[in-house]
Amino acid sequence: MRPLLVTGYSMLSALGRGRQHHLDALASGTTGLGPSPIPLEFATATGDVKVALPELPTEMQPWSTRLARMATALLQDIDEPLRRAREKWRPERIAILLGTSTAGAETTEVAYGQFVKGGKFPRDYDFQRQHTFGAVLTVVRKLTGCNGPSWMASTACTSSGKSFATAQRLIASGVIDAAIVGGLDTLCTMTLQGFNSLQALDRVACRPFRADRNGINIGEGGSFALVEREGDARVLIEGVGETSDAYHISAPHPQGLGAQAAMHDALAAAGRKPEDIDHVNAHGTGTHLNDTAEANAIKAVLGTDVPCVSTKAYTGHTLGAAAALEMAFSACAIEEGFLPPAIGDGDIDPKIEVKIPTEKTTGKFERVLSNSFAFGGNNVSLLIGAP
Amino acid sequence: MSIRVAVTGLGMFLPGFPNATAWAEKSELPTDDPRKPSGLPFDRVNRRRASQMGRAIGDAVAEAMAAANVDGVTTPVIVGSSIGEASAMLGLLDKMWRENEPMSPAVFTVSVHNAASGLLSISLKNKGYTTSIAADYDTPAATLQEGIGLIATGTQAVVCVCADEASPRSLLEHAPHWDMLSAAVVLQPEGASGALAHLTVDDCHEDRSGISIAPAALGEGFSHNPQAGMADLVDAIQRAQAGTLALDRGNGRGYRVTLDT
Repeated sequence: MRPLLVTGYSMLSALGRGRQHHLDALASGTTGLGPSPIPLEFATATGDVKVALPELPTEMQPWSTRLARMATALLQDIDEPLRRAREKWRPERIAILLGTSTAGAETTEVAYGQFVKGGKFPRDYDFQRQHTFGAVLTVVRKLTGCNGPSWMASTACTSSGKSFATAQRLIASGVIDAAIVGGLDTLCTMTLQGFNSLQALDRVACRPFRADRNGINIGEGGSFALVEREGDARVLIEGVGETSDAYHISAPHPQGLGAQAAMHDALAAAGRKPEDIDHVNAHGTGTHLNDTAEANAIKAVLGTDVPCVSTKAYTGHTLGAAAALEMAFSACAIEEGFLPPAIGDGDIDPKIEVKIPTEKTTGKFERVLSNSFAFGGNNVSLLIGAP
Repeated sequence: MSIRVAVTGLGMFLPGFPNATAWAEKSELPTDDPRKPSGLPFDRVNRRRASQMGRAIGDAVAEAMAAANVDGVTTPVIVGSSIGEASAMLGLLDKMWRENEPMSPAVFTVSVHNAASGLLSISLKNKGYTTSIAADYDTPAATLQEGIGLIATGTQAVVCVCADEASPRSLLEHAPHWDMLSAAVVLQPEGASGALAHLTVDDCHEDRSGISIAPAALGEGFSHNPQAGMADLVDAIQRAQAGTLALDRGNGRGYRVTLDT
């Protein structure tokens, strides 16, 4: 398949809104992780979006949720390439292919709390407009006028990675000419409690690939990218690997066999060799099992010399948004010529045999693999290249 | 979307009709039957983990795969569901708000939208592509479009299954209630042998005229299920219908398929 042309992208996370805020934080090794804004009975750091989010237009207030307002911000930040795309392609030829894990759970859990306490949902709560996976699709359609195929992938932490693969197939097969892809997710109590029940949360800022790593931090945010059949590409999605572990619902295969297969498939789809890869944006959640399995997989596919960084130490794990956000970070590495330092307290785990640079690395990075792995044993690896 | 593909297998689960064959024959189970999906395609451990909807998905997928003679180890599965594992989510919220109890890690891990597709890939030992998608009442169209995208770029067979559990009454108190259903088709390239029908997914139409194939006689309980359009497709192919069929029962963006033999 032909590479997918990324003609614009936006970013929103604990590091701020927009490319420059993210570049500044990544270059200086400044984490966005901090105390949870949600009251909890246990300690953990989170990566919450602190910037003010735009309101939806008045006529769209019934759809207004934190998730929808995040979508609005992400769309505003690709407004210029999107305007050009709308001049070039018919609305029904521009798809909306996004990913989320929690959809409107943040809104529903608050509403459900009121229902339990008072027997009634809040008057303005509307499950279909504020919770369902389709609700944000409606918002994006209304805000952009794009009217092509639209759906939400929801494969937990690979969700937004799937959107790139789908767009590549639909463009290659002539169904569409362009797509808004990416993903978004919001912090919610249920997710934090759920990961706490799995004993997967680090009490302090997460430390991917460190010897004393002790779990993940949950983040929120998202990234949208505009991908097109032709245009001025900032970066290319050269190939995507999509595999399953077929092993366990929530634990990775110890050797990361599914992850290996995803990376192999991404390389094969791009027609690239392992030695073509200059950097890996690792899934790197900070749990013992995940980091070990992923490092094993990277070593098996790429060897031990490729610098690997997990940017989850900056943003937390943004779940369904992670793959898209980390695609954007990979694009930044290619466009700006630097890799962020792998931050986190403690020494790198000596059992991790891949290269984890703890200082900012400058150079020419032409091809990056970005990994995302999820509950269900779902794996996505994106190969992002310079145009 | 004008890419024409073959449909080579069908599967279905409705409470009372455990498979597509039973539906075609209108052979309804007696009302004293538990009317629950078997979940037999899952291994024992993952059957326990799967929700009733997950089991219904497994039943429909297995039936469709067997009918199309495609294997579970390599054939991609696309699961479409509008609300996914909503009852698992409500269970978690109940624990959180009503009982103030710690969350069950087992329930949490299967509350994700892709629980069924993940459990199925584990049980079938399928290490390839699988996904779970959602688009409200357009989910049947989206599931077919995702499948057609795969076929158009070289995949030899793909299972598209759509399912939604019974509507969560507390969250949808003013909407018509629906019961659980699951329906599946196997798509293959246009020239595949054993085609039961061929289809194209048409662009969405605000204009609802031109629909020539009547929806399945699903009954009130099922007809509001966002995935009813996929059951309508299975039913139309069983009845050897040709023409245009709505995929959203008028509730979505107006996607339709053109069916021919």
